[in-house]
Amino acid sequence: MSTNHNKIRPVYRPVYINLMQIRLPVSALISITHRLSGIYNFFITLPISLYLLYFSTKSYNDFILIQDTLSQPNIISTFVTFSFLVYAYHILTGIRHLLQDVHIGESLSASSKSAYLVLIIWFSLSFLLMMRLYL
Amino acid sequence: MKGSSLFYWLRLSALFMLGYTVWVSSFILINQPVEYNSWISFTNQTFFQLSTTFAAFFFLVHTFIGLWTVGTDYFTPRTLGFLHPTLAKYADLIRSGYTFLFVALGVLIVTTTLFIIWS
Repeated sequence: MSTNHNKIRPVYRPVYINLMQIRLPVSALISITHRLSGIYNFFITLPISLYLLYFSTKSYNDFILIQDTLSQPNIISTFVTFSFLVYAYHILTGIRHLLQDVHIGESLSASSKSAYLVLIIWFSLSFLLMMRLYL
Repeated sequence: MKGSSLFYWLRLSALFMLGYTVWVSSFILINQPVEYNSWISFTNQTFFQLSTTFAAFFFLVHTFIGLWTVGTDYFTPRTLGFLHPTLAKYADLIRSGYTFLFVALGVLIVTTTLFIIWS
């Protein structure tokens, strides 16, 4: 941090913000990916789960078809697993944000530690689910 | 609407859907592999129908606040102008279109959910 607060601030604010030029700390990365995963959940995971709920309760044959498709490694089961992993990511990062709302882990160091913890939990979960699907 | 009520509605809906998700996914995890009959009796119980209905409405609240926040943060002349200066002129139009899209899709999703649950 420099001591430039005595300098005159530039008159012109940047007209357009280049988001790519901002260096994100890991907690900010978690925050923006929480938003992105929320958008993904709305447009993809939720319609998928509605489709699954509808056909899994429609008839016995549809249920078996869905169960067979999802338990074998193919592009559909991979896509569905990935979508639910994105949902899990939104939940994990969301719990982290909720804890920070009640002032748990708010400090800079705790916030970056919990960010890494969330990432570790999520990557382990992804690894386990994909292992279960493919092995 | 007041910012603080948006804040609390977002958190309340998040907590409800968290509880709902934990409940449904723990049923699926405990009963591996899920049998058709147990799945049908699980989804036919009144408690499932009611909690899914509540979850659907809380989903609408959560989605509206979340996606509206994203829209007002990024679909502005300032951030769209970074992509192309012409886009900055149409930022308000783009944001309205986006808001209309996700509200319509959200209502469609809730209607479909209620149709699946109660029919």
